[in-house]
Amino acid sequence: MAADNRYEEEEVRTDDGSPITKPRPIVRLGIFLVAHSPVFSVVFSAAGVLALLLLPLLAKNTYISENALMPGSARSMLSNRDASDGSKLVKDIKNFRLNHEGQGVEVQRLIGKYMSEMVAEVYYQKFQPEGNQFHPLHFFSGPASYTLLRNVSCASYGVNVVGIIRAPRGDGKESIVLVTPYDFINGGDYEDLSLGVVSSLFSLLSRVTWLSKDIIWLVADSRYGDYRPVAAWLAEYHTPSFKVSDQLKCDELNTADNFRRAGTVAAALVLKVDGRSERFEDILSIYADASNGQMPNLDLINVVNYLAVHRQGFHVKVEKVVSLLSSSWLKIVGEIFEAVGKVAHTLNPDWKFGIPAAEYIEGSATLASSLYSQAFGIPTGPHGAFRDYQVDAITLKISPGFPPDSKARQHDFFLRGSQLLEGTIRSVNNLLEKFHQSFFLYLLTSPSKFISVGVYMIAFALLVASLPMVAASLYVDGCKALTKSTHNSAENFKSWKWLDAAKQVFALHLLGFIVTLLPYFICQVPGQHSPRNRSIMWGTTSSLLLVTFVTIPGCSPFSSRLHGTNWAILKSVTISAAFIGLCLMSIINFATAEIGALLLVPTCLLAQPIKPALRSRRVKSLLGAFCSMVLVTIGFPVIFFAITKGLVGEGLVGLSLGGEFWTWLESLWAWKSATYLYIGMVHLPCWLLCVCILFHPS
Amino acid sequence: MKEKKKDDGEMAEELEKNSYRFWIWSIASMIFRFCIILFPENINLSSRPELSTPLTSLCRLAEGYWLKQASMSPYSGSMYHGSPLLLSLLGPLTVHGIEGQWNHHLCSLVFVVSDILSAVLLRATGQQLEKAYRLNLRRLGLLKASRDRGILPCGDIAALVYLWNPFTILSCVGLSTSPIENLAVIVSLYGAVTRRVPLAAFGLIMATHLSLYPATLVIPLIFLLGYGLDAPPRKLFLQTRDREGEPGQDKLTRTTQLPFLWKTVLHFVFWVLVWSIYVLVLCSLSLKQYGGLEEMFKRTYGFILNIEDLSPNIGVFWYFFAEAFDFSRNYFLIVFQIYMFLSILLPLARRLKHRPCFIAFVYLAFSSILKSYPSVGDAALYLSLWALFVNELTDMKHSFFIFCGYIGFSLLSPVMHNLWIWRGTGNANFYYANAMGYACFQFMFVEESVSAMLNHDQALKKATAEMTKN
Repeated sequence: MAADNRYEEEEVRTDDGSPITKPRPIVRLGIFLVAHSPVFSVVFSAAGVLALLLLPLLAKNTYISENALMPGSARSMLSNRDASDGSKLVKDIKNFRLNHEGQGVEVQRLIGKYMSEMVAEVYYQKFQPEGNQFHPLHFFSGPASYTLLRNVSCASYGVNVVGIIRAPRGDGKESIVLVTPYDFINGGDYEDLSLGVVSSLFSLLSRVTWLSKDIIWLVADSRYGDYRPVAAWLAEYHTPSFKVSDQLKCDELNTADNFRRAGTVAAALVLKVDGRSERFEDILSIYADASNGQMPNLDLINVVNYLAVHRQGFHVKVEKVVSLLSSSWLKIVGEIFEAVGKVAHTLNPDWKFGIPAAEYIEGSATLASSLYSQAFGIPTGPHGAFRDYQVDAITLKISPGFPPDSKARQHDFFLRGSQLLEGTIRSVNNLLEKFHQSFFLYLLTSPSKFISVGVYMIAFALLVASLPMVAASLYVDGCKALTKSTHNSAENFKSWKWLDAAKQVFALHLLGFIVTLLPYFICQVPGQHSPRNRSIMWGTTSSLLLVTFVTIPGCSPFSSRLHGTNWAILKSVTISAAFIGLCLMSIINFATAEIGALLLVPTCLLAQPIKPALRSRRVKSLLGAFCSMVLVTIGFPVIFFAITKGLVGEGLVGLSLGGEFWTWLESLWAWKSATYLYIGMVHLPCWLLCVCILFHPS
Repeated sequence: MKEKKKDDGEMAEELEKNSYRFWIWSIASMIFRFCIILFPENINLSSRPELSTPLTSLCRLAEGYWLKQASMSPYSGSMYHGSPLLLSLLGPLTVHGIEGQWNHHLCSLVFVVSDILSAVLLRATGQQLEKAYRLNLRRLGLLKASRDRGILPCGDIAALVYLWNPFTILSCVGLSTSPIENLAVIVSLYGAVTRRVPLAAFGLIMATHLSLYPATLVIPLIFLLGYGLDAPPRKLFLQTRDREGEPGQDKLTRTTQLPFLWKTVLHFVFWVLVWSIYVLVLCSLSLKQYGGLEEMFKRTYGFILNIEDLSPNIGVFWYFFAEAFDFSRNYFLIVFQIYMFLSILLPLARRLKHRPCFIAFVYLAFSSILKSYPSVGDAALYLSLWALFVNELTDMKHSFFIFCGYIGFSLLSPVMHNLWIWRGTGNANFYYANAMGYACFQFMFVEESVSAMLNHDQALKKATAEMTKN
């Protein structure tokens, strides 16, 4: 170690040009860190994991950041008359459904009629439910590249009903969208309630004078999922296509040329009412995650949460990983933190960072769910479609605490639900600018607690900080080893020894890129194939490619040439690649990068050739080899997927695993999730390189 | 003697093999480019700010051509800011279109051809430099015939670095005119290295006409023509001559102690004048109805020097001038433009005057950092020029670190742009921070290259001193 130090110092001294002067303090600090990298890497990684566990403690209470919002400062104007309007609509729809079984369009007409009675502009929009189209290069492209309708069939299409109330004080340049997903063919009783709530509100908004943003009510045809109709409507709203679609000719419902708009969308609220809650009170769940871990502005959630809790008395919750609530190790961790907090409090009464263990467990479960849904990059509801157009949107799912046929409580429910929406709309209506004051990058630990980017980034930074240190120290080691092994100084490129290793790393990343693109071509294979077959096809082609790559002499990491690259430099370049990849991913989608770092960092750090370890037969090196083998096994994406599934409770073995994995990946493509790119282009190549290092013939 | 012949035979074989491989790789790069060009719908590269600047965007050129066809000034509306000659050359290729969408395949073909031409010229330049390097080492007595093989074919390497650099490929298929600007620069260097004075002057004038900044190349070109190719400092040759002191070496000494060739330089200046008058006449002819040369100067060079367009790019000026107060704008403009000339060009020219080609690399690198509208095409040019000096720069420090930095920041750039423009969760600071980091690494790269070159000269000096002692 001391030799390293000297070597580095020498190098730095010659850098400065004068051998006598001491290097600058920052350089000396860097050298110190690099020289003691094994210790520091362990310390930093442990600190990273600890910081992740500490996050629920560090969560702050939410607060309304934008002053203009002023939630709850105005008295609600909603009257019983409005609520009974909603009840009437629900009753009519129910009656209509009893009389006319399975006539979807008629229900839409009925809703349209109601809307136009409330002096709203009404139109119908047809859209095509689209299958999961995988196009590898559509990631990250803006919404402009939305695929246009191709082969339109009249057999299946959905119809959205849209009503617009023009604001008496507005200039038609801004709007607020309310969405109620509704299945017109077989919608349940609870779904009717969401229509009732919004129609009560709509009846009020058609009369009020304070409105300065137009209100759009979109009744989305949720026969083909909640997300698709909303996305189709938004696409038409923002990027009108001027070609006459064949779809318009399909039906009696004339939808041509009457698509109306109402300015930029300031915010959107999706309201869903589903199944009865287990408690007596009504439960409001807030869903906010859009694609690739994007979140709406925190102020929107704050406003809804504030109004729901302090004005309407809803029980507000956000998603949790339920299995964590009963986990014993988390309880122990929570108790330890609680004890530490108490001790700290006795030492200095100003230190108040301890929270009760139960609260800690709740927070961790919510945080885990938040991380999990952000990491998948799949939106948790139709609000995700809005985020693609930079509109802040959330889904409010209300589970009423009464059976659907209880008339009295239904009226009360309509009143409270629409008062909540009214308050939120009133707040958004006050806004002069887009939502910008509060956070966009945060994780929720409860509806009223959040962790901002500045805090959660620390955990990630600590975790990956060891990578560049270890890379530098390995690089120095490797260079020295190479200089020793090649004595001919003329052929010795002093500074370019990493080129060979870089070539190998590049080759495997290229392989990863090709493997990432392969599913696109597999999807093009004619004929119907089950997901399992497709995954088998993918697996075989990928392994064939890997074999060909390995046999190409130049780029194979297994080639043991006489003066071939030694593994230290290969590992150094691998770690650098992993570091760059993880840092990039942390900007695109933090949660993916965090989970990826938890897997990749230990794997990369511990990877060492097992041959010498087996030869030496020392316990320490054997243990290290065993650990790295285990980590590499877990690190393979399919196995990690199986393990996570197993933890959730669905045990999967054998070929069905491949099918499941394929289906899961398909969902990632459908949502343009960058997680897929991360797995294919960062995780898989680095994992392969770690395997190469493990079996390096050194 | 026999052995030497055998060596020569082997070397010739190796050379042939090398050139064979070179051509395979260059054809492969061409095919790769065509493949990307044929799948353009997926990747809307031409709208990337990293690739097409207001000066190099082909879409803007098409717009300018359309304006000109409609008998309006191509410069009206602040859309087009390039050369009127380029407009006449590339403009007609942009109009052949189907269904209102202009066909870019013809233009892409032009860019691919110009890339290949650049690579071939770079290779020829590199071969000359390699020959000179070998000759100089022999003269200093540092090179034995048997160790010849340690010298890398820098021409091939530079050409392949140019062809396979992702930056070059992206700017070639991304419909920006930088391949043509790069070609002009490389033509001028090639002309000077092979002492084709009119060609060098033509390249210089065309490059200056297209993007202004290559005007700084006049210094290295004059050195190249005046003093000859890159060589170790002249003092070293004097030392060796003192040591040897043989009468047979007289001829050699005379050639090593080349005087400044005023005649060639004057010849060069004459041709520069001829070509510039020629280009100006052509421009004035093509812009006769639209305000003439004055309009052109205002709309092209004025646009470059004034930094009028503040749309984001990978340079460091747009953000600064978007933030600067209007009354201090002129002051900063003057300071920044003069900074480049005074503090970078002249000292370097003095310090490195024995290595004119290297000066050209350093100037191009600096101008690509401090230019008003840089794109990755500029980086592609200086990186491949850098590869001409692989033999001298083997000891470059921190090469791996700089390499990682380049990769990291060039991947980060689209991510930051996406965060700012599409997602709205980032802001301009994110993208600008990325641009600053990128500029920082470019600076580091140039600095390390220059210090490695100076160290190389030092090492040569030490080696010759040791030889003299022995």
